[in-house]
Amino acid sequence: MPQTPPVVDIVQASQAAITAILNKIETVVLGKPKECRLALACLLAQGHLLIEDLPGMGKTTLAHVLATTLGLTYQRTQFTNDLLPADIVGFSIFDQATNRFELHKGPIFNQVVLADEINRASPKTQSALLEAMAEQQVSIDGITHELPRPFFVIATQNPLFHAGTYPLPESQLDRFMMRLSLGFPDIKAEKQILLTSSQRTNQKTADNQAAVVSQDELIAMQDAVSQISVSNDVLEYIIALSHVSRRAYSSHTSQVNNSGETAAEISCKPLSPRASKALLQAAKAMAFIDNRDYILPDDVQAVFYVVCQHRLEMQANQQLDPSQQESTSVARQILNSVDVLNPLGY
Amino acid sequence: MMLFKKKKKQLSKGTSGNVNSKTRSNFYLSRQNTWLLWLCQCLNIAVVAMELSTWMLTIIALSLAWQALLLQQNSDRATTSRGKHPGTVQSNLANKRHSHGLSKQLTTNVSPVVLGIFALLGCVAIALTAKQVGILLSMVHLLCFSYALKGFELRTRRDFYQLLLLGLFILASALIFRQDLAFSLIIFSLLILNLTVLLQFFSSEKAFATNLKVVVVLLGQSALLAMVLFLVFPRLSPFWQVPFAKSAETGLSDTVKPGDIANLTRSTKLAFRADFGTQKVPDYAQLYWRAIVLENYDGRQWRRQNKVTTNNTAARSIIFDASNTEVLPLTYQVFVEASFQKYLFALAPAVVTGNTSGITAQTDYTIQSSTIISQAKSYRLTSYLTAPLALELSPQSRQINLSYPQGSNPRLEQLALQLQHNYVDVQARAQAVLTLINQQNYSYTLQPPLLINNSLDQFFFDSQAGFCVHYASAFTFLMRASGIPARLVTGYLGGEYNGVTAEVNSAGKIVNKGHLSIYQYDAHAWSEIWVAGKGWLRIDPTGAVDPQRVNIGWSNQLLQEQAELNNSFFSLYRMKNITWLNTLRLQFDALDYQWTRWVIGFTSQQQYDLLKHWFGKMVPWKLALIIAVTLVLSMLMLMLLLHWLNRPKVKKQTFAQWQIIYHKAIDRLAKQGIEKPLAMTVNDFAKKIRQQCPELAIVFTRLSASYNRLCYQTLSISEQEKQAVTMQQQYHHFIQVLKNSDKKHL
Repeated sequence: MPQTPPVVDIVQASQAAITAILNKIETVVLGKPKECRLALACLLAQGHLLIEDLPGMGKTTLAHVLATTLGLTYQRTQFTNDLLPADIVGFSIFDQATNRFELHKGPIFNQVVLADEINRASPKTQSALLEAMAEQQVSIDGITHELPRPFFVIATQNPLFHAGTYPLPESQLDRFMMRLSLGFPDIKAEKQILLTSSQRTNQKTADNQAAVVSQDELIAMQDAVSQISVSNDVLEYIIALSHVSRRAYSSHTSQVNNSGETAAEISCKPLSPRASKALLQAAKAMAFIDNRDYILPDDVQAVFYVVCQHRLEMQANQQLDPSQQESTSVARQILNSVDVLNPLGY
Repeated sequence: MMLFKKKKKQLSKGTSGNVNSKTRSNFYLSRQNTWLLWLCQCLNIAVVAMELSTWMLTIIALSLAWQALLLQQNSDRATTSRGKHPGTVQSNLANKRHSHGLSKQLTTNVSPVVLGIFALLGCVAIALTAKQVGILLSMVHLLCFSYALKGFELRTRRDFYQLLLLGLFILASALIFRQDLAFSLIIFSLLILNLTVLLQFFSSEKAFATNLKVVVVLLGQSALLAMVLFLVFPRLSPFWQVPFAKSAETGLSDTVKPGDIANLTRSTKLAFRADFGTQKVPDYAQLYWRAIVLENYDGRQWRRQNKVTTNNTAARSIIFDASNTEVLPLTYQVFVEASFQKYLFALAPAVVTGNTSGITAQTDYTIQSSTIISQAKSYRLTSYLTAPLALELSPQSRQINLSYPQGSNPRLEQLALQLQHNYVDVQARAQAVLTLINQQNYSYTLQPPLLINNSLDQFFFDSQAGFCVHYASAFTFLMRASGIPARLVTGYLGGEYNGVTAEVNSAGKIVNKGHLSIYQYDAHAWSEIWVAGKGWLRIDPTGAVDPQRVNIGWSNQLLQEQAELNNSFFSLYRMKNITWLNTLRLQFDALDYQWTRWVIGFTSQQQYDLLKHWFGKMVPWKLALIIAVTLVLSMLMLMLLLHWLNRPKVKKQTFAQWQIIYHKAIDRLAKQGIEKPLAMTVNDFAKKIRQQCPELAIVFTRLSASYNRLCYQTLSISEQEKQAVTMQQQYHHFIQVLKNSDKKHL
């Protein structure tokens, strides 16, 4: 029986690859190292990624470069309001030559599915992604088809208040491990974008870039991520965070019941166990990227906003600047209310 | 029920959303709670119902019935409209509005003008009858009247509070009239119910049982404080004393005509209790509790002679003059119930031994309270059972006790003359009458036939059936007519022995032999004749007709008669024949006795005595100090209790060694003015330290890294130990650096 190498070794062995991937992404998405790391963490944690921002902020570029760098099959689907579920998952068509129904696979059968402007499609079409995202399989005409592994959905969306957008159903929002916002680049980065963009149009650099890691390497890294060790303290920290949200939710609702006044400091939806799981998984990936085989509360804090904010907020934040959004967000309030050293308050 | 809860939830959402109706919709009661409130109203009124006059009760009953009708209508309407349009959202919304106003519609149906006029009329009526019923009762009337009417205008939260407060006030005022244990328990449970209604209003989403439990727990907790205050809080009259109720007099009265006491014997109400301590309880036939001596007879009824009261020492001298030293004293404690009369009960001849204030002894060997007994009261007596009463009889007294209206009962007078002629000896003459009664066909009954003009002739010669007063009256009349000074005495005979209260202390010594409970049905009347050299002799003609009554107590035949008269299922007769019920009754009687003794009987005097017993001689400043200290202490105790109850309820976790070290380190830093925010991770804090005090950077970063490894990395035990040792060293290093940097700064 072949002995699997300990996680520490895989972590260390993968460091070179990870640095390479990050470098490559950062050359395309300029001035956003933090977001790049989070996006990579999301993919390593086998979660789906939702990128929300204004048009023209580099959402698609990030999605694109992620797919190509990891060497995965990739297809982009532009979501519009007349898009039908069959356009995504595929359909059976009668072939007169063979007298049989033949399956025309939709774009979902790629390893990376880029759902561009997902919230412009109707909720029905959005829901077509549900099964694929949760179960990694699709059913067409009653036949279940396995999807390739690894499988990611990277979706981009415009902020909700934009014209012609449908809000994503909560169930679907919950299936995205992270929701990222890129935000405006700083002066230096923007200058560089302006400089490089004129050269790049002809060269199509991003498309031509060869993959940095093979699929097998990627799968090995994903397995290593799930094996990262978690201490009891970190588990309690995660539990404490989700409990704060649940307590805030229940006290909020009961107060509404009684006197019609809302006096709760934090008003949010409660975090589900799926959210806690996603939080743990994402934190593991962050530890992995950080060259550690164990999670620190730092990892949890680093991913908490992107993993939980879209599950917590009662209504979409309309603040444009993501940095401002974060500092005033519910997620930040919850983080601030839990003692890191003694999360359950013994 | 489910439907109900759901509706409530929607309801509250509706209220929070709708700003327009906010002021209006702040107040609503659930249907269950509205009915509970109504029930509370009914029950609260019921406890004072005995004191209210019939017209007021009728008005209140009508108001409550009307309110119930309105409530029923409202809930009916709510259900029918829900039934009509089950599905649509619109109608559901309408329903919410509708059920929302459930309790409010109750008021909108009765216009304030009508209500106002009604209230005014009621007040006028109360004012008109005030003179008749007395100030206290008319105030109670007013209270109940407003309580019943307030139910009609339940519009805002404030109205609800008012209604509840009025209810509590009524409960409190009910205690003016009765204070026995059973009644107090009823009042207490009603208090719980009232408070539950209040709580139900605030946490309507919880089940009734849950709220009930909360109230019970809360009251239990406050009972502790109440107990302390009960013991030490000064009973300043008149602020903290129960006002006197001029209630219907119970018990004996100072005029007696034949047939009077028979009515009294239908009552099973308690008259008083007697506690003989460790002494043997005297025989039943010895237990003649004297209350009133009636010496004036006008041919129809017996009347009390206005006596000159003597003080206690005089009474003592009267008894001791007469008694020789061989007479054994019998000391006992008597606990009387409120009778709204002045009479106290004693086994003659008696001397008040305990606290004598407020008790006066009479020359006829009865004792009286100086004020009307409106509250349970206790006193201590010493009786000399075999001592003679009044060896000397003043001429004036002799004259009174021989007088009778000539010709009022001619046949008896004739018999008396005959007796006087036949029997020269006074006692023989009396005995002859008793023999006569015993041998002839006389019967003892609770239902004596009516006598025309209370004629004793008619009783003695025609009907020959009567109760104790008949026999005693006739006997006394015969004695007077035959020239023997005689008088009628009323009081109680016997009493029920209750051994439940008997106590035996740890040494096997009997501390208490139980107590006697004397009920109204023990009321009795007998005669006393004056014999030269022997004083007043007690002669009970009842013994001649029904010896059992005198020696053991009520015969079964009498009990049966009483049961028939009272027409109640739980009559004494049945109770006494069912063993376990009787045991239960005795148990409860014992409990009630202790209640009367320790709670009701805890007067300001007893409080003073208790404090004196605890703290020595009382001076005002000392008293004030004690009260102040107790109050402060109890408040402190309460605060501590609250604090303790509110402590975070989690199990204690022992901190690991490295956690303690790290906490020590950050405590040290906090003293330096660098606080670690709760939510900041160890790494981030290390970073902050690096920026703020570079000299600590290296040591603290190392310490933090060790902490992180120990806390979050999975290490083997040996690795862990090693790391812990390292961290300990790092900590010492850190402290050194810290001290050095301090010195530099200084």
